[in-house]
Amino acid sequence: MSGRGRLGLAIVLALALLALAGDRVSGYRFDAQDSARALEGPSRAHWFGCDALGRDLFARLSEGARISLLVAAGATGFAMLVGLAYGAVAGWLGGRTDAWLMRAVDAIYALPDVLVIVLLIEVLNGALGGLPDLWRRLAALALALGFTGFVGVSRLVRALVLQAREETWVEAARASGAAPARILLRHVLPNIAPPLLVSAAFQIPAAILAESTVSFIGLGIQPPFSSWGTLASDGFEAMRSYPHLILFPCLAIFSALLGFQLLGEELRARIDPRSRA
Amino acid sequence: MRLRHAVAALALAALGCRGERAEPRTLRINLATEPPTLDWNLATDGVSIIAIQQLMRGLTKLGEDLRPEPDLAASWDVSADGRRYTFHLRPGVLWSDGAPLVAQQFVDSWQRLLAPATAAEYAYFLFGIRGARDYNGGKLADFAQVGVRAPDAATLEVELAAPLVYFPALVNFMVTFPIRRELVERFGERWTDPGNLVSLGPFTLEEWRHEYRLVLRANPRYWAGRPPLDRIDAYMVQEGSTSLVLFEQGLLDLVRIPPLEIRRYEGRPEYVRKPLLRGYYYGFNTRRPPFDDARVRRAFALAIDRSQFPPLLRGGEQAWSSWIPPGMPAANRELGLRFDPGKARALLAEAGVDPAQLAPVRIVFNSDQAHKLVAEQVQAFWRDNLGVRVELAPREWKVFLKELANDPPPVFRLGWGADFPDPDNFMNLFTSYSENNHTGWANPRYDALVEEAAREPDLARRQALYDRAQRILCEEDVPIVPLFVTGANFAVAPRVQGFVPSAMDLFFFEKVSTE
Amino acid sequence: MIRYALRRLLAGIAVLWVVATVTFALLRVVPGGPFDKERVLPPEIMRNLERRYALDASLGEQYVDYLRRLAHGDLGPSYKYVGRDVADILAEALPASLELGALAFALAAAGGIALGLAAGTRRDTAVDRAIGLASLVGVSAPRFVTGAALILAFGLALDWLPAGLWEGPLYAVLPALTLAALPLAYAAQLTRAQVVAVMGQDYVRTARALGVPEPRVRRRHVLRNALLAVLTYFGPLLATLLTGSFVVESIFAIPGIGRFFVTAVTNRDYPLVLGVTLVYAAMVVVANLAVDLAYAWVDPRIRVGAEKS
Repeated sequence: MSGRGRLGLAIVLALALLALAGDRVSGYRFDAQDSARALEGPSRAHWFGCDALGRDLFARLSEGARISLLVAAGATGFAMLVGLAYGAVAGWLGGRTDAWLMRAVDAIYALPDVLVIVLLIEVLNGALGGLPDLWRRLAALALALGFTGFVGVSRLVRALVLQAREETWVEAARASGAAPARILLRHVLPNIAPPLLVSAAFQIPAAILAESTVSFIGLGIQPPFSSWGTLASDGFEAMRSYPHLILFPCLAIFSALLGFQLLGEELRARIDPRSRA
Repeated sequence: MRLRHAVAALALAALGCRGERAEPRTLRINLATEPPTLDWNLATDGVSIIAIQQLMRGLTKLGEDLRPEPDLAASWDVSADGRRYTFHLRPGVLWSDGAPLVAQQFVDSWQRLLAPATAAEYAYFLFGIRGARDYNGGKLADFAQVGVRAPDAATLEVELAAPLVYFPALVNFMVTFPIRRELVERFGERWTDPGNLVSLGPFTLEEWRHEYRLVLRANPRYWAGRPPLDRIDAYMVQEGSTSLVLFEQGLLDLVRIPPLEIRRYEGRPEYVRKPLLRGYYYGFNTRRPPFDDARVRRAFALAIDRSQFPPLLRGGEQAWSSWIPPGMPAANRELGLRFDPGKARALLAEAGVDPAQLAPVRIVFNSDQAHKLVAEQVQAFWRDNLGVRVELAPREWKVFLKELANDPPPVFRLGWGADFPDPDNFMNLFTSYSENNHTGWANPRYDALVEEAAREPDLARRQALYDRAQRILCEEDVPIVPLFVTGANFAVAPRVQGFVPSAMDLFFFEKVSTE
Repeated sequence: MIRYALRRLLAGIAVLWVVATVTFALLRVVPGGPFDKERVLPPEIMRNLERRYALDASLGEQYVDYLRRLAHGDLGPSYKYVGRDVADILAEALPASLELGALAFALAAAGGIALGLAAGTRRDTAVDRAIGLASLVGVSAPRFVTGAALILAFGLALDWLPAGLWEGPLYAVLPALTLAALPLAYAAQLTRAQVVAVMGQDYVRTARALGVPEPRVRRRHVLRNALLAVLTYFGPLLATLLTGSFVVESIFAIPGIGRFFVTAVTNRDYPLVLGVTLVYAAMVVVANLAVDLAYAWVDPRIRVGAEKS
């Protein structure tokens, strides 16, 4: 593995560790208050310092890692699955179905990203009212972000399926009377998997970026839970006096994006050197 | 190397040295958010009033000791029974279009305020006037029957339903300012647009770039003389930290300091702090479960430890469990519910509410660093002391006000600053007929006590009446939970002279000049 | 060429019409609008609406009226800003976003292409690695991170540039840099990849072997072909940048339309939602057209309209 790939892997593993065990390592719950130590900078007791309500920032970043990564995974999963199904159907069937399906996708593409995301979040928050607050917001975020991602994926899949359809071995499979679904699943999918995996690898940092931005605006996770974006937003308000409050969340987001992109590049170099996403 | 130096020099020169970044006689303030309206009959909030107060004045104004002084009214007499006031208008006062001020313009304004069709939230402000309440309630159709008239251009006669000793202080407030009825009718909703708006205060409205900046221009026709400033630029920078950086760069002259930055400013010459006659409370929507049960409301109130708020906000806040603020006559620090989590839980159980089964309680507040901190703290209190789940829902100020008026949330945050320095202003807020009462709570006993106290001249008896009313408000029915009283914390640039903050949180920029 | 442009324009108008119709339908169904029996709009808004529209005319009549008004640029009154029309709100706010967006686009495009070209033609040298690192950093920083860093550095520490407001050309520097950082880095990455791919092509090596001077090789072949691939990215980027960014506009207190994309939805101000959507759709049409024209300019051999979708 290249040096960059190793770095990316190291970063991603470190973040996963932070998400899984961060607060246990630090010894504090993310919502435990210690008013006496409010706004303290980094110290031995609190490695990243404390926020205005005396909560340990390291523990909050660990909770933030869980939430941000969960949302990114959900959004990517949704985008990939839906995009795959949609693009495969369009590419395989071709003709008018393909034309209409792609026109629908183009129409969605013509809408402003931010507005669609905000609109979906608002609608989904309402529609998912039965769920507890945290899960409702997580689901709404993941679905809204995934929705804006599936457009690109479906286009990619469609192009790949169109290409694959012309391959001789696929023609042979069709001639032998195999069902289309079977052909798609057993023959086409494994062949188009590499560029798709690379695409997925790059969807994750895109989702992390989008989630942190939405949360920074204030439309994402609400207190007492925190994602990296909300922590950055809180920190921004006090960045003059207490820079540690914005420094660490920004570092976290930055590392996540960097790490996943380095990994994505490594992945691309290894399994799909011909294409460029 | 040389290129970099040249670029830096250019940048410095362009932005200018800090002292030269302001135009002379221009004051740049931060309103922090778009004023919901400049219509002084309809405005209700502390942002709109900043602009309105520079554009317009009323019959009286409040001096530094908070006693009423002549403004548009040069003098006034009161009848022996305390019910009839006669205001003698100052001669020679002109509107910015040159038209003279006449007493009828006050009558027009008060009629508009009270007219049912206007649906002004502050209509109740003038309910002390004979017939005003009936007129507003639709029971009286002819405004001529209401106790205010202008027998001639320079005289305004007011007849009260019962004597109100604080009436001269009351008419300092913006909703009583005169209007030009013909202009309001001509321009409709756009009468407050720059170019349409005609005013008679120290400044006129020159420009209003929405969500960005209001520009006020000195009014050469102002009766007290042209103000020293030429111009006020009132920006709307919502991010507190950005506004503070702009202040430190010399691009803004007057900003409110966000709570977390206050500590850094303590001891510096730019820091100005002023305790205010301003209370901060959490209100319940008493019409919807679970807060339709007073025991539940008391439980939630008992679960809050107010002593945590001053160290959290560091802005000179004072924990306060009753409603009338310290510094106001009849204030009583002994009243109200103290922190008692055990009792809180017992009350919840008594009311049959199971915290685990309860749907998450929603707190709605306008987005601001301080309100968010308080909301997060209250969320923690209710979670730790009651076991209740709480969700936070921030809103933009304008949207927040509309939501309060149309569809009050289960729990909302609000503040109240004195419109005039008398406890009636605080207490009549929660009467059943006050449109500023968003709790939906109505208690006729409370209404009666407040009305009686407003009329009562004897101070000791007044205190007793207000104590009884505050007990109902803060201990028994608890439609609101008073949390603390606030102070104002400003950063004022050294080039600004004559800025005197008022305990009423009002700004009078005609006294301000810049070096 | 003209016919192609016209065809694309018509297609764009069709898109706008679809958007308008969908929103017309939504306005009548969605909660919180004037047609919702439950949650009534504040009285002053209702009065305004009743005065301007015949709310009890037939659906068909309302639709025709609605389209007619749209054609005249009347987007109706806002549901949240009493007494103000959506068209006026947008007209007041659009110039700031356009200026900022154009500046950011110029920075991102010129900077990205220049850096990508420099890196790709000096493959595997220190310069290439440095630019590669810088672009990796650039695409890993969300706008609020970049914005905060720039404010702290150039606003506070150095005090060279204003940390916000919109009072002159100097005020555009930090927000434009913030807006352009990520696209610039991404464009640099894209360009570099394309340049590297093209440089390895046979015809480039042939040109060199034939003794064509290096700068000419670069300009005629490498740059042109690299640009073609990058242009596809620039189309939607231009539309996005010209319509502002909520984050940048709120951090730097800039009076653009970027914030409406968020606040119009959260305020349930549906006419404003329609307004910004139409503006954005119009920008996309314009930007795509510009990209197509740029394609033709970069390589006149490509017949515009010959590519299949």
